[in-house]
Amino acid sequence: MNEVKVSESELTIPIERSIQAELLLLLGQKPSHGYELIQRLNEADFKSGEADAATVYRNLRRMDKDGLIKSHWEVGESGPGRRLYKLTSLGEESLKVWARYIAQQKAKLENFIQAYFQFEESLTEREDGVNLT
Amino acid sequence: MIGSQESLRIIYAAALQQVMEKCLEHFSEQNSGLKFELKGVGSREGAKRLLAGEKYDIIALADQALFAELLVPDLVENYLVFAADQIVIGYNHSSRGSKEITPENWVDMLLKPQVSFARSDHHLVPRGYRTLMVWQLAEKFYSRPGLYSTLEAACIPYSTYPKSLDLSSALFKGKVDYAFLYSSEAIQLGLPYIALPSKINLSNPAYANFYDQASVTVESKIPGKNVIIHGNPIEFAIGLSKNSQYPELAQSFADLLTGPEGSSILDECGLIPC
Repeated sequence: MNEVKVSESELTIPIERSIQAELLLLLGQKPSHGYELIQRLNEADFKSGEADAATVYRNLRRMDKDGLIKSHWEVGESGPGRRLYKLTSLGEESLKVWARYIAQQKAKLENFIQAYFQFEESLTEREDGVNLT
Repeated sequence: MIGSQESLRIIYAAALQQVMEKCLEHFSEQNSGLKFELKGVGSREGAKRLLAGEKYDIIALADQALFAELLVPDLVENYLVFAADQIVIGYNHSSRGSKEITPENWVDMLLKPQVSFARSDHHLVPRGYRTLMVWQLAEKFYSRPGLYSTLEAACIPYSTYPKSLDLSSALFKGKVDYAFLYSSEAIQLGLPYIALPSKINLSNPAYANFYDQASVTVESKIPGKNVIIHGNPIEFAIGLSKNSQYPELAQSFADLLTGPEGSSILDECGLIPC
């Protein structure tokens, strides 16, 4: 029998798909600049993977352009000035949609796991039946 | 208003050569007849030129920490971080071992006796001290005690290609097999490169504490005295001279670089706009 191998990376949801929701949530919690967001994202329990600087800054620019967040330069009192990002009302709406979508996905995944465990149980019972004959 | 014989003076990290040229192209369209005087330098060397009394209106450096260490508050009031980057290993198609080198085996490939590699001068150029930091972090990351000293001993002396442009040019012409560069420089030169793990390439603020464990001794602003600098994520910054004769024009140029036009230019040149 051919053994089908599926790599872990094939099963992972691409980081680009979920990073916008993660950034919106972090900015909803408090306005931040990109440097701090990268640190907060990598410390968050909900991160989908290692968030690199290029991915975070690219998504921040995209969301800024789309009006989900807004930014301005904040001059540092004792350090460098950085672009500070804030959530907009459009961003809040988008975050709500994301949260509903993720909740639906979670329910579907739980249903899948439940169905899978039933299937696994039936397989074990079938194998036990074969061994007994 | 700027006189016909006068010019806006800009000193910048040589790694920003293409970025500055493109920004000036845009800026000149908006300010016809304006003259510029450009000086591409090693950033550490550039900051020291200002300390020695050279006058510039705009200062763009490859390490934001240089502003706090050398220029603020006497010469510059504040400064903005506008781009990020990472250290990579650039090579050319005739580099020995170029078909075999990977992000996993780069250390062993560089240490082969027939292979040559180089770095810039850490006293002049952030890329020089950042390369030494990458080697120190690699020693920890790969758990290879002594790796930093081994790489330092095997590397072409830093005085051979002290500045960024010397080293990039040597790599481009095939005089060295490998060189430690910013990824944006490799992209601008059209050269292939090996990306290093983010835990050692100084790109990710999430590893700022790990990067901080690396340190390099460089010449301080006081002649004959040294200062120890620590690793941090690579960030480029721009500041305006407190003594600028044309503060409004200088501010307009900074606005261009840190605005949407500047972001597109930085993107085109392989940097990450912040």
